[in-house]
Amino acid sequence: MFATDDTIVAVATPPGRGGLGVVRFSGPEALAVTTKLLGRGEPLQPRHATVGTVVDPSASHRDAIDQVVATFFPGPRSYTGDDVVEITAHGSPVLLERILSLGCSAGARLAEPGEFTLRAFLNGRLDLVQAEAVGDLIDAVTPLQARIAFDQLEGTVTQAIAAIDAKLFDLVARLEASLDFANEGYHFVEPGTLAGRIGAIREQVLRLVRGAARGRLIREGCQVVILGKPNVGKSSVFNALVGSSRAIVTPVAGTTRDLVSSVIDLDGLAVTLIDSAGIRETTDPVEAEGVSRARQAFGVAAAAIVVLDRSQPIEDEDRLVLSETSGGRRVVVLNKMDECAAWTPDAMELPVDGVAVEMSARTGDGLEELRVALRSALVGEEELRDTPSVGNRRHIGLLDQAGAALEAAETAVKTGATEEFVLADLQRARAAFEELTGARTPDDVVNHIFARFCIGK
Amino acid sequence: MTRDYDVVVVGAGHAGVEAAHAAARLGCTVGLCTLSRETVAHMPCNPAIGGTAKGHLVREIDALGGLMGEAIDATAMQFKLLNRSRGPAVWSPRAQADKREYGRWMRSRLEADTQIGWVVGRVGAVCVEGGRVVGVELEDGRRYGCGAVVVTTGTFLNGVIHVGEEQRSAGRVGEPASKMLGESLKSLGLVWGRLKTGTPPRLDRASIDFSQFEEEPGDVPPVPFSFVSGEIDRRQTPCHILYTNDRAHDLVRENKDRSPLYNGQISGIGPRYCPSLEDKVMRFPDRDRHLVFLEPEGVDVPEIYVSGCSMCLPRDVQEAVIHALPGLGQARMLRPGYAVEYDFIQPTELRRTLETQRVAGLFLAGQINGTSGYEEAGGQGLVAGVNAARLVRGEGEWVLGRDEAYIGVMVDDLTTRGCLEPYRMFTSRAEHRLLLRIDNADLRLTPSGRELGLVGDERWSQFVARRERFERNVAAVRAARVPGRGGAVPLTQVLRRPGVTLQGLAGDGAVKVVTGSGAAEHEWSSVETVVKYEGYLRRQAATVARGERDERRRIPAGFPYGAVPGLSREVVERLSGVAPSTLGQAGRVPGVTPAAVAVLGSYVRRWSDREMAGPPE
Repeated sequence: MFATDDTIVAVATPPGRGGLGVVRFSGPEALAVTTKLLGRGEPLQPRHATVGTVVDPSASHRDAIDQVVATFFPGPRSYTGDDVVEITAHGSPVLLERILSLGCSAGARLAEPGEFTLRAFLNGRLDLVQAEAVGDLIDAVTPLQARIAFDQLEGTVTQAIAAIDAKLFDLVARLEASLDFANEGYHFVEPGTLAGRIGAIREQVLRLVRGAARGRLIREGCQVVILGKPNVGKSSVFNALVGSSRAIVTPVAGTTRDLVSSVIDLDGLAVTLIDSAGIRETTDPVEAEGVSRARQAFGVAAAAIVVLDRSQPIEDEDRLVLSETSGGRRVVVLNKMDECAAWTPDAMELPVDGVAVEMSARTGDGLEELRVALRSALVGEEELRDTPSVGNRRHIGLLDQAGAALEAAETAVKTGATEEFVLADLQRARAAFEELTGARTPDDVVNHIFARFCIGK
Repeated sequence: MTRDYDVVVVGAGHAGVEAAHAAARLGCTVGLCTLSRETVAHMPCNPAIGGTAKGHLVREIDALGGLMGEAIDATAMQFKLLNRSRGPAVWSPRAQADKREYGRWMRSRLEADTQIGWVVGRVGAVCVEGGRVVGVELEDGRRYGCGAVVVTTGTFLNGVIHVGEEQRSAGRVGEPASKMLGESLKSLGLVWGRLKTGTPPRLDRASIDFSQFEEEPGDVPPVPFSFVSGEIDRRQTPCHILYTNDRAHDLVRENKDRSPLYNGQISGIGPRYCPSLEDKVMRFPDRDRHLVFLEPEGVDVPEIYVSGCSMCLPRDVQEAVIHALPGLGQARMLRPGYAVEYDFIQPTELRRTLETQRVAGLFLAGQINGTSGYEEAGGQGLVAGVNAARLVRGEGEWVLGRDEAYIGVMVDDLTTRGCLEPYRMFTSRAEHRLLLRIDNADLRLTPSGRELGLVGDERWSQFVARRERFERNVAAVRAARVPGRGGAVPLTQVLRRPGVTLQGLAGDGAVKVVTGSGAAEHEWSSVETVVKYEGYLRRQAATVARGERDERRRIPAGFPYGAVPGLSREVVERLSGVAPSTLGQAGRVPGVTPAAVAVLGSYVRRWSDREMAGPPE
């Protein structure tokens, strides 16, 4: 059951790219959460459109995500009747997702479908005529409804989740049986196999979660920013990639602004490639603006291509770029392989933990390797159609919860905890699955046990 | 009708004795109706109390000041703590009862209670005036006026016993069924159904060669059920284990058509957790043997109960099956097993006080509500007895939550979901299982029992001392430090390691734990558990807290579910039938979604506001 007194968040504008996108928060913490996101000292003025910057409060240097307009509607005079804050950002799905996930880390919860309207109704903000529509609303906000809608979109995913849930359910029923029917002389679960069985279920959940990121990339595309100090050949790499690709004539609005960008088809992935200004310390205000936008672009990009010049010695500015991009998805390009090498990757004391590709943007040598490395950095090695992908953020959140609970259960087994404790963790995982697949009751557990075992002395 | 008693209890089985005792403790005069004083707290089936989850119920009855725990401690022939290899949340006491002694103990305890009057005879009708119970009428015409009635008639409502092709009307073997009372209850409009249960044959102890079997001894020392029993020093009697074999299975298969279960003679639904031998053989053909326990029914009685061999085949076939088993070739069957079909009232007819929704002052408890088991009956008897007394005294209802007690889980399950088969308690039914342990039943419930008036001064002062010891012990354990690598480490850290026990640490002098005199297993366990499993307990408590808001939000009686837009007709029917008393309970009614609960909540608030403001002009 979802609560009606916590703070929820969702993108209020239709999915896809647009000039603007609105992220809406509703609930008692709406103001506190958005104040955190906007990095503001003072809270928003009621019913004033305020220009601000969304920052990642967790990042050490408080990465700026986007310039936005925020408006605070105090309850009860708001759409839902709760405190509501609407953040209008640029309309890139990637950007809006980022704001959503920052909102969730700051204490909000992703709204269920229709939940804003439900709150409006519960708080008496809809009149009687509108309340007549509640019948439909009830259906629209049930997990079942979400599941059916989801089914139509991605039957394979629901099947995959249902299959995992069925295994977990069987395991739970067996463990319950071993507690409630301890003296029946059965091994409901073969001793010693429990941790392995939980691990196998968890691995399946993890595979879905990994697929989830890919699913979103495939559906919505992603951005890749080319970074490096000035004059290492960023634009040549950009041109080489654009030139080698089938051009996609989708105009890209908003997020890239003055950065040069182009959309390429990377074996089925719609990748918005962004060429950036060289990153370095500078006092020139115009150049500094370019550097700041390059960093901003990296903040919302799915991956970076870091370009180094093989023919020139490594400098602090290279190290700066490498350290700023470490920890994210990236491909390091060792450009100008057609010229004399000034250093070898082995010799350099650089934290090149990502994939390094040698290439020459001028001759085109190594370009295919770069494409392969980039694709693999974005979606992994597997074929795109092999595994079902979960694209819905609510589902990903629930799968994460299930994965964490299964991990706890596995640890519990390994440290010698007995069934009832393992079950406490497994039940949390089941609760997450239940939200995905529709509820099961304890009666079902009992039925499952009796269907399989002859119980009762 | 003039009032003869405050409360009349119909039936002196396990539900009836707890109901009568509880109502009397609360200051009511009680009329206890029974067919015979010889069958008080009778055990017509398994001669045992407790077992997984059932042991929890007994501890809770005891913690609240009920009788069952003390009765079994005083009369048991063998004690075992089940699930000992697991954690403390699922430990559960079980004991073999000397069934005659158990009944005698209960009877003398109730006979000593001057608040209780005995009415020997068969109740034929519940008397109702203006939607309120006013008394009962016996089949012989005697009438007793009262303020509340608790009906605990077990399997007696239209009971039919089957042994092979033979059928006769009976509540238990040798005791005629109650037909008139069943008709009286149905005429009140209560929804009813038909269930079936069964019992195995009884064998003569002298005719059995026990040397053939594996012996199952009791625990030494025994862990008592009751918090006030202290140490039990008694010689224990073993049980014996054997297995069925192919020959026995073949006999069952060959004679399948003579079993009322398989020839259409029985229509009632039986309990799957306690299948008859016919069911075991027919439904699980892959199993070549089934476990059988031989359980003595008393120290000085010849009957041996053949646990696991419940059947209703004809007498000659039952004898042949028994004789086919190793060691039972010469066994003399004292009486055959049988199946019994009986009417029950669908418990969705009840409020969580176990009062019927339709008739004020009419309470039902035990097997009549579709449950099975003495412990389930006892727990319900206590709830019904307390609430009957409180109704008569003009006090508010008393309801235990699902997070407070197994009894609360059971009553909520019954009244919210109803029964499709005989209901038995399992630990898996309690979603907050880790909080509902046998070791803390007193900490959970004795204060409520005291407040109600069930817990006397002696039990209360024992409890207060025990609670103080518990709190001091927990504080001592939390404060203690022991030498470890790199200096002193908190004792709690050591205790959380697998395999480390508090008794072990205390034995090594790491901490001083003070327990009361006598059996102190639960005292050790309650201290150890709250420290060792702190994280789990905290998470479960957080789950309880999340649901609390809905559990506290009342739905007024008579709320018009049909007026809530968007609820399907089926859901409206179910909700109207169950009449949940809180939003939380409404969410557990089958078919009700979380979203429907949210909308319902909003309508309940609006409706209550309007009702409060008075009717519209």
